[in-house]
Amino acid sequence: MRFLDWVVLVGSTLTIVLYGLYKGRGSGTVSSYLLANRSMPWWAMGLSIMATQASAITFIGTTGQSYVDGMRFVQFYFGLPLAMVILSATAVPFFHRAGVYTAYEYLERRFDPKTRTLTALVFLVQRGLGVGIALYAPAVVLSVIFGWSDRWTVVLMGVLVIAYTVFGGIKAVTWTDVQQMAIMFVGIVAALTSAVLLLPGHMSLGDALFLAGASGKLNAVDLSFDWTNRYNLWSGLIGGMFLALSYFGCDQSQVQRYLTGRSLRHMRVSLIFNAGMKLPMQFLILLTGALVFVFFLFEPPPMLFHRAERERVSGMTAYGEVESRYREAFTARREAAQSLLESRDAPAAERFDAARRRFDAARADGIKLTGGPYNDTNYVFLTFVTRYLPVGIVGLILSAIFAAAMSTISAELNSLATTTVIDLYQRHVRPGASDSHYVLVSRLATGFWGVYAMGFALFGSRLGSLIEAVNLVGSLFYGSVLGVFVLAFFVPRATGTGACTGLAAGLATVWWMSRYTDISYLWFNVAGCLVVVAVGTMLGRRSDQPI
Amino acid sequence: MTRPDEEPAPLVGSWRILYALVVVYLFVLIALFYAFTVAFRGPR
Repeated sequence: MRFLDWVVLVGSTLTIVLYGLYKGRGSGTVSSYLLANRSMPWWAMGLSIMATQASAITFIGTTGQSYVDGMRFVQFYFGLPLAMVILSATAVPFFHRAGVYTAYEYLERRFDPKTRTLTALVFLVQRGLGVGIALYAPAVVLSVIFGWSDRWTVVLMGVLVIAYTVFGGIKAVTWTDVQQMAIMFVGIVAALTSAVLLLPGHMSLGDALFLAGASGKLNAVDLSFDWTNRYNLWSGLIGGMFLALSYFGCDQSQVQRYLTGRSLRHMRVSLIFNAGMKLPMQFLILLTGALVFVFFLFEPPPMLFHRAERERVSGMTAYGEVESRYREAFTARREAAQSLLESRDAPAAERFDAARRRFDAARADGIKLTGGPYNDTNYVFLTFVTRYLPVGIVGLILSAIFAAAMSTISAELNSLATTTVIDLYQRHVRPGASDSHYVLVSRLATGFWGVYAMGFALFGSRLGSLIEAVNLVGSLFYGSVLGVFVLAFFVPRATGTGACTGLAAGLATVWWMSRYTDISYLWFNVAGCLVVVAVGTMLGRRSDQPI
Repeated sequence: MTRPDEEPAPLVGSWRILYALVVVYLFVLIALFYAFTVAFRGPR
């Protein structure tokens, strides 16, 4: 990092935080602190919804995933626009008319206190895990760049985000989200443009796409159906839709974004805005990862992207021999790529495939030297940024990563605190206290969850690819919670007891599926929801029972 | 029937039409992504 990069990173981060604090001033009531007095316009909520979902993991993990696995991850988002339409037409009007602070508060009005409390607790566990991972990701950035320990970077980032979120409330969170999303858009364009401009001089964008496609990295749509295949058209459309329905309709970290809307129309349009923007944005991020792969076809990538691991194994006796074989395999792959580019025929494609396999095998030998589970997917993009991008752009992309991290963490802390205070503390511990008391407790709860997130994040290095870890955790809970809301909205005979029993059955089913089957995790959402709805409907009141 | 708190959708005036446009937009995007996938599969 050079001086200009530091100026861009520190300047943009501080500007955003100060702007958020300025916009968040005067949040002295519960309605203001937690719901911005329901005054937000659609575009601010829409950007806040996007910023909340787009964490630092989106930049770090998604580009790395595309480098390793191609663009097929984009299919994960295919169900999102459908979910936005369904929520806009169904759940949003319910929440708006109920005038609730949390999604779970609605469940008490429809069912009973235990259903509200149970779903609130599920959210707290689930989002508590998610916020820890979201905090760990930017710590990875700092540890790779500066060689700091993950532990200290988690603490540093955590303290900064906690301070800004505790002070500003949801107005600060939302308005910083707007700025942060703007920086993310600029960062995405800058990263993609840089990846194109850094291609070898003789290569056009079309050539790069040809090589990326020949390497299987532009596999954006897979029409085949396979329960065990994580990302194909069907798992994306159906499983992804159920996941998005649950995330945007039942997860307080998103519901709270649009509960701040100044009218039902603004709330709905904020979701439709997200429906229009999300897929193109993810496509561009994944395309960047694919172009980084092409860049490293001609520029030697490190055998191990994780610098600390690389330095650790470089002292081993076998390292020199493995490294030498890896370099030879790289040269052979580069020549095969060049040959394919010139001839563009099937024999050259086969030679390129063979060269890629030899290269991958040589790298696998290098990975074996680490002696344990090793996954450097999350380090690929950062290596590219810090080693090859020009001064200023490095700072800009790091700003985008920091903006993504801060927007997600702040929104999650804000929603965790809201659920803790509104659904647990105010409901069960101390009802009827003054408004200022609840504001104070909300600030304390935000701080508590921030400290908890830091504790969880300290174990982040034991997880694999961060992006999949977050989604996997989510999928264990999401579908079942969605089922409870489906019962509430659409099954008049459903009762609180039936919903809670269904939720337990749904969670057990999803746990069993994750433990004993090879079914891809996106389908867990569908199964969890269907089990809850089936059980809840069966256990509902008979038609001759009074409501 | 429109509820009293339901304002018309922006641009097209009807929420149903807006939702239909979002669905059409999604399938156009998927079709474009599929064309992109096929176009760059490489020689085999």
